[in-house]
This record gives sequence, C-alpha cells and structure tokens, in this order.
Amino acid sequence: MAGNMHQYAFFLGCIAPNRYPGCEAAAIKTSEKVGIELLPLKGAGCCPAPGAFGAIDLNVWYALAARNIVLAEQMNMDIALICNGCYKSIWEVNHILKHNDELRDGVNEVLKEVDMEFKGSIDVWHLAELYYDEKICGAKKLAASVTRPLTGTKIAVHYGCHLMKPGKERHFGDTEHPMWIDELVAALGAEPVQYRNKMQCCGAGGGVRGYDITHALDITNEKMINIREVGADAITEVCPFCQLQFDRGQIEIEEKFGQTYNIPVLHFNELLGLAQGMSPQELALDLHGIDCKPFLEKIL
Amino acid sequence: MAEAKEEPRIGVFICHCGTNIAGSLSIEEVMEYAKTLPGVIVADEYQYMCSTPGQKKIVEAIAEHNLNGIVVAACSPRLHEPTFRTATQEGGLNKFRFEMANIRDQNSWVHMHDWEGATAKAKDQVRIAVAKARMLEDLIPKSVPVEHSALVLGGGVGGMQAALDLAGAGIKTYLIEKSPSIGGRMSQLDKTFPTLDCSQCILTPKMVDVGRHPNIELYTYAEVENVEGYIGNFTVTIRKKARGVLSPDEAEARGIIGGGCNGCGDCAEVCPVIKPNPFEFGMAPRKAIYIYHPQVMPLQFTVDFDSCVKCGLCVEACGEEKKAIDLDMVDTFEEVKVGTCILAIGYDLIPIEEKTEWGYKRYDNVITGLEFERLICASGPTGGKLIRPSDGQIPKKVGFVLCAGSRDNTGGVAKPYCSRFCCMYSLKHAHQIMEKIPGAVPYIFYMDIRSFGKMYEEFYYRIQNEGAKFIRGRVANILEDPSTKNLTVFTEDTLLGRPLSLEMDMVVLAAAIQPKPEAERIRQMFGVSKSQDGWLLEAHPKLNPCGTTTAGIYLAGVCQGPKDIPDTVAQAEGAASAASIPIHTGEVQLEPYFAICMDDLCAGCGMCVPQCPYGALALVEKNGRQVMEVTEAKCKGCGTCGGFCPGGAIKMQHFTSPQICAQIDAFLLEGGEQ
Repeated sequence: MAGNMHQYAFFLGCIAPNRYPGCEAAAIKTSEKVGIELLPLKGAGCCPAPGAFGAIDLNVWYALAARNIVLAEQMNMDIALICNGCYKSIWEVNHILKHNDELRDGVNEVLKEVDMEFKGSIDVWHLAELYYDEKICGAKKLAASVTRPLTGTKIAVHYGCHLMKPGKERHFGDTEHPMWIDELVAALGAEPVQYRNKMQCCGAGGGVRGYDITHALDITNEKMINIREVGADAITEVCPFCQLQFDRGQIEIEEKFGQTYNIPVLHFNELLGLAQGMSPQELALDLHGIDCKPFLEKIL
Repeated sequence: MAEAKEEPRIGVFICHCGTNIAGSLSIEEVMEYAKTLPGVIVADEYQYMCSTPGQKKIVEAIAEHNLNGIVVAACSPRLHEPTFRTATQEGGLNKFRFEMANIRDQNSWVHMHDWEGATAKAKDQVRIAVAKARMLEDLIPKSVPVEHSALVLGGGVGGMQAALDLAGAGIKTYLIEKSPSIGGRMSQLDKTFPTLDCSQCILTPKMVDVGRHPNIELYTYAEVENVEGYIGNFTVTIRKKARGVLSPDEAEARGIIGGGCNGCGDCAEVCPVIKPNPFEFGMAPRKAIYIYHPQVMPLQFTVDFDSCVKCGLCVEACGEEKKAIDLDMVDTFEEVKVGTCILAIGYDLIPIEEKTEWGYKRYDNVITGLEFERLICASGPTGGKLIRPSDGQIPKKVGFVLCAGSRDNTGGVAKPYCSRFCCMYSLKHAHQIMEKIPGAVPYIFYMDIRSFGKMYEEFYYRIQNEGAKFIRGRVANILEDPSTKNLTVFTEDTLLGRPLSLEMDMVVLAAAIQPKPEAERIRQMFGVSKSQDGWLLEAHPKLNPCGTTTAGIYLAGVCQGPKDIPDTVAQAEGAASAASIPIHTGEVQLEPYFAICMDDLCAGCGMCVPQCPYGALALVEKNGRQVMEVTEAKCKGCGTCGGFCPGGAIKMQHFTSPQICAQIDAFLLEGGEQ
C-alpha cells in the first residue's frame, strides 16, 4: 500500500489497448484521482475471450485465465479490469476454481509446465465495481473528483451480459434491473435515461459477432432504436467489446440496413475522464467510429 | 447381574424376498453360516418370510425347539418388524425377543452386482443380530389414558373439515385460527376447478356448521403459544389476541346481558382510519375496525390496534345496549388439555417480486393468481369486473405465466417442486376471462400442463376448445411500455423452436407456494420434522401420509405439501380419522424403549436433564436423596441421556450397553470371544 492508495494489478484485455486506447488511459488517470492505483500486470495474456475460447474448449479457457490470475497472485494483489468479457473469464474462473478442487487440480497440472500454481489467494474486480464500492471509492467520492460536470446530457447505460449474468453466480443483487452504473453516471452530473429492454445484449458477445455479423447487428439495431427513442445524447458501457459493437456497429448498420443513428458511444472511463477534465485528445476520442463532437459540444 | 440368565436358544430365518435378496446373495451360505453361530439352535430360509407360511415357520420353530430368541434377516424393520414381533408373540414369547437384520435395503439393494461381497456382509449382519438376540430381555409396553378431546390448528378448509369430522365422532374439538375469521385461502377464491362451483358457496355451509357445532370450540384471532405433554395428554396454551370487540358470550361473561357484537357494522361506518384490506391484497379499503368480507365466521368485528387512533367514535356508535367494543382489551391466555392434535396451517405465495424478470410490484398490470381471484370475484374489490390496475381498462389479451417460481432450480425464492394447483387454476382463469369479456384471448405460457385429477384433463380440453392459446415455454422476461402500460412477454415456443414476443394488456403470474413463515415455530412446538422444502414431514409418504414422527400429532392440507382442495379435504378426513383412533381407544400403548434410571448408581448430578430433547427427565427426591426420574410417556428412547450419564446410571431398554457392546464385538471379533 502506497500511502492511502488502494493498489490493484491492472488487467488490460485486448480490445481496450488495441481499439480504444482512451479506455486504458482514462482508467489509469481517473482512478488515481479517487485513491485507486492500477499497476501493470506484466506478462498477461488474453483473458481468454469467453465466447471464442470457452465455446471451443473449456479446459483451455480455465488454464489460460488461471495463468493470468497466478501472475496477480505473484504480485500479491487483487485484479482490476475494465472489460465485461475479461470479467467473465477472470472473475468466473477464479470463482469456479476456488470452489471446485477437481478442476483446480487439473488446471494446476497444466500450469506446472510453466512453473505456476493457482492458489486462490486473490479476488477479481471490475473497475466500475470499485468505483461504486463505498469501502474503496463510492459514488460520492467519484462526484467529488468531477471538475467538469456533464450537466444537461442524457446518457443511456448499457450494462452488458457478461458482467451481470449468470445472475446466481454474481454478487450484484438484482441482475434484471440494476441501477448502480446509472448512479455512477448521475454522479458525473449527467442524466441516466431509462429505455426499453435495457438489459438486452449488445449483440456482439458469445462469439455472435464473429460467427454471424448480420444477426449480431440486428440485435444491436433493436437496442439503438430503443435508445434513440428516449433521446439519449450518448451511450455508455463498461466493456470495450460492447463499445465496439455499438460504435463500429452503427457504421455497419448504416451499410447493411441503411439506418443512421450517430449516437456517440463512450466507455464509462472515458466519460469519467471528460468529467475530471481530461481532453478529448488525451482520451483518443478521434479513434471512435461515431463522431463524439455533438456530445462534446454539450459539455465543453 | 445377580439373576442367572437362561441359556440362549435362537432361531434364525433368512428371507429371499423373491429375488430382491436371493438374486444378489447366497441365502444357502448365510443360512449354513447362521447355524454355526453360538446360541443358534435352528436356521431356516423361506421365499417370503412375511407371508402366512413364513410367519408360521417362526411360531412352529418356537414350540419345536423351545426357542427364546428370534432373528429374521429380511427387509427393513420399518416395514415388517411389527409383523415378526406378532409372530414371535403368537409362538408364546415376549414380542421384544425378536431382532431383525436388514439384508435387503442395506445390503442386496445397494450391492446388487457384488454376490461375494453381499453374501459376506449378510453373514456379518446376521452375526450381529444374533449377538443382540442372545441378550434380549422381556419388556412390557406401558399404557397411558387419552384425553377425550382434540385440537385442530388452522381454520382453512382442511382444518374445518378435520374439526367437523372429529366433532361428528363425538370428540370435543378446539379449532384455532389466527385470523379473525375461519375460511382460509378457499374463501379468497372465486370459482373452483374443474366444476366451476363458486368457492364461497360450497365453503360457507361448512363455516356455518363449524360455528354451530356443539362439540367445536372455535377460537378465532388466536394462536398457539405453547405445547406440553405427549400423545393422549397434550396441554396447549392458546393466546387469544386482543380483538377489541366482545362476542355475545364474552359480553354476557362481563354481565352485559344481550350485548356483544352482532355484526351490524355501525362501528366501521364511523371509524376515521382507512387501511388496505389484506384479504383483498390491498386492492380495497378497510377501516381500523373491520370484518374481512360479508361472510365471515364468526360475524364479529375486530380492531386493528396497529392503526386504531382510539378516538372512541366506534364505542359511541356501538351504544350502551351492546357495549361490544373495549379498546383497552389485552391478550389473554387459556390452557386446554387434548389427546391429539392436527396441524392444518396452510401456505403462502412466494415473494414473486424477487423473480425480477417478471416485474411483479414494478409493473401495475402484473398480478398474481390470487389477486386475479379477487378481481374476478363478485364480492371482490371491483364487484367481479376484471379491470387492469393501471388504468381501469378491460384487458383483452391476458398472459398467464405458469410455473412462476415452481419447478425452477435457479435458487433464491424459486422452488424445485411443482405447486400442483396453478395449472388448473390458470385454466380456470382463462375460462373466466373468455366467459366474461367478449373477444378476450388468454395466452397460457406453460412448461407442462399437469391436469392430474378427476375430470381435470377433460377441463383442459374444454379450455382448449374455447379458444385459449397455449404456448409451451418458460417466460424469460416481461417489459412494460411506459406510455400504454402494456406488457411485452418474451418467451420461446419450444414446439416451434423459436423465440417469441407478444404484447399483453395484463399478465397473471401463477406464483409458486411455500410454507408459512410461522410454520417453523409451530413445527418446533409440536415436535414435527420438515422436509427439504420446509413443508411439514409426514411419517411415511405412502403408508402414513397424515401422521408425523411425533405420536398424536397429525397433518392435513397444504402445510404437508402442495395439494388442491379435494386432496386437502381428503387428507383432513384421514387425519381426523387417525387422530380419533387413540381417543376412542381410550389408551395408547407406548413402546417400552424408555430410559430407566438405576437409582443406586445415580448421583443426582442432573447433567442428563437438559440433554433430553423431549423434556422427559427431572430430578426428584427418593429415599432422602436426589435422583433422576423418567416420564416414560414422554421418553422416545433416543439414548441421548444414556450416552451422556457420567455414572452409567441410565439403562436404555432394548438398546442396553451390554447389548450394543455385544453387537460391536460380534462385528469386530468376527464371532470370536473377547
């Protein structure tokens, strides 16, 4: 513990650093302002993607996820991450291996080849969860860190499936009608708007985007219709893959179905970065598929 | 011991049980082995030992070989111990000179494919049983007299039926109901499937009968506070909750001749406090002084002291003649002595709002099946006009979600069991909306339709023919359109193999049922076990479905497990019949397994007394010193005290330390001597 900072091993994932570097930058810079220090998890691999890997071979999924957990165990730190897919892999595998000796022994047999052992000594957190946790940060502390409130903007929150489901294995309480990210958005001064079928999938996860893009976009399109209906200025989520599907997906929907929405999509970290005074350049918002200018004009 | 023991002369009988036992182990080998055991005079085998010829073998062997101990290696003593004890007695022995080895349930059934192993295990079991049989003693069962009265807890249709049957058999019956009126859940229903009889119409005659029966003493607005005693002699403390209103009898006891509540309702007229009526699930108002509905039994008002402001207007309205209202009333207690008790405490719906995907309590137009019953009922809050709660419009498309929380293994409030009557009442609801609302279409989202009863399947066909839509699949979630308050039901049609979403005006959840929250306290007071799901546990699901493991306590209705009205009434009649047997016999025989305190060894330390789960032990003064004494009728022979006694002063009859040690030695020393 450095002073009164809560330290975590920061698991990056693949999509954030490769496609939306702003998420990564924002995570590190915004968390410092509320007493959370994210330290690099050196040597981390892919989480691995729960749909792509888990659907093909569960044992590979367990072993690769366990390897990432062991790296953090060696640092003696809990993991913090910023992607629902990573959450599903790392949190769930950690949870499963802690409760299933047989699987754990099997995984450790594989890990032995690289001189590693899964001990089950750490916990895994989503950064958004830490922001909401009163013991670590809490919405009040988050609100106190805001220098440029997002007043006057309507924001539609998308939670994402891998974070909330399967409900009985998660610890978020009501996974059918969660409001905690909405509370975090409200803490930034924006108005979280409620829209029809809020808990519907973004369309991308579980390998659907890779397997059948048209079907995936069809689901995304339905979400976009419902979000546009309530007049949202932007969409926010806590998962770069959902972000990819909403952001790049809008362009693909235009190409395939000829429907235009142009609703900016920002990861919650980027939104928090803006509220804490980071510049759009720092957040690499120019790399987004959908132009964020209309939204930025409302707050800058 | 001083007295010389007679030489043991044991007869061993091995049962084939058809191929149940003989198909998995060698009967011949076990029998030959038994002949070599010390004290065994004769060993025999038979196809079915429990049959008449099988029992005759025992009787004849006793006479022929002058036996003084019998061992039968067969099925479970829970099944046939009484049979063989009777045979032993017929042969002229004390029936407790019999010991059973369970080589079926505990051996041949579990080691079906291990002939050698099962045979060896059967030999062990027979050797152990013989070792105990050599040390068995004559025991004399005790009899206790039985109080000529019974208690029924719960005034729903099950409790009422049980009380009427007991009272009809000439037994003084105390019927205890915690709410102000008897009638239970059934009085909240509109129609009953499959005959579409009006529920109140068939129930009120029974309610009136209960109120009028000379042998029934009715305690409404009362709860059981404490239970003491054992079969034949229970002492039950009844808490009569402060009702604030006197019945004519209570008024007379206070010297107000011709006074007391006559149900005129003048008091409620003037009462300024308005509260939701729980009988109508809060959909209608009631005053702080109230009756649930016009047909209550007894017709006597009740003051809800939680919301009463004690303004005294009702006292004024009631007048000096009747003087029925007393706002300073307090709870009173009464003790009754009864021979047997029947628990008929009913059920509750699960808190279905915790299955958040269906939006109950979040969306106005999602209601439960019981709320639908009130909305469609002529005496309900809307006078029988079905309207949707959000805007009072008449719904045309109504969805029925079956198995709402039943047959669901997802945990939380969900229940793994089938609640048994929801399919049928939802079919009935579908019929009712088609009957009452022209052009209405019911959509029934089901997993399976379980129409198991007499004329139920025919009723199911009838509803199909009337035009109800059936969609097979579990409803995933329900969404509300904020502007119209219409509901979109997302489900799958597993017969078409595709997802489906349908817009409904209203959705009715056939919520699962669960035991009442007070069931736990009541069950512990009466010493009744519970099953995995919290329902009260019957003694045997097939052969003793009304009894419990505590002698003299019986069960009726849904508190024992989900069932519909016919099954509840049938079980209530069964329970009443079972509960009347000891009363009419006048005495009950207790199995003589009770503990005996050997006074010369007892130091009077009293450490055993708090150990007894049945409160059967007490310290008494004998010959100038303190010793423990067992109340034999309360003792269940569990052995807790005997194992605990530091001085070894407690003898557990039929399970004495020497008997158990002999069994252990017989097993460990493989028949060798110590």
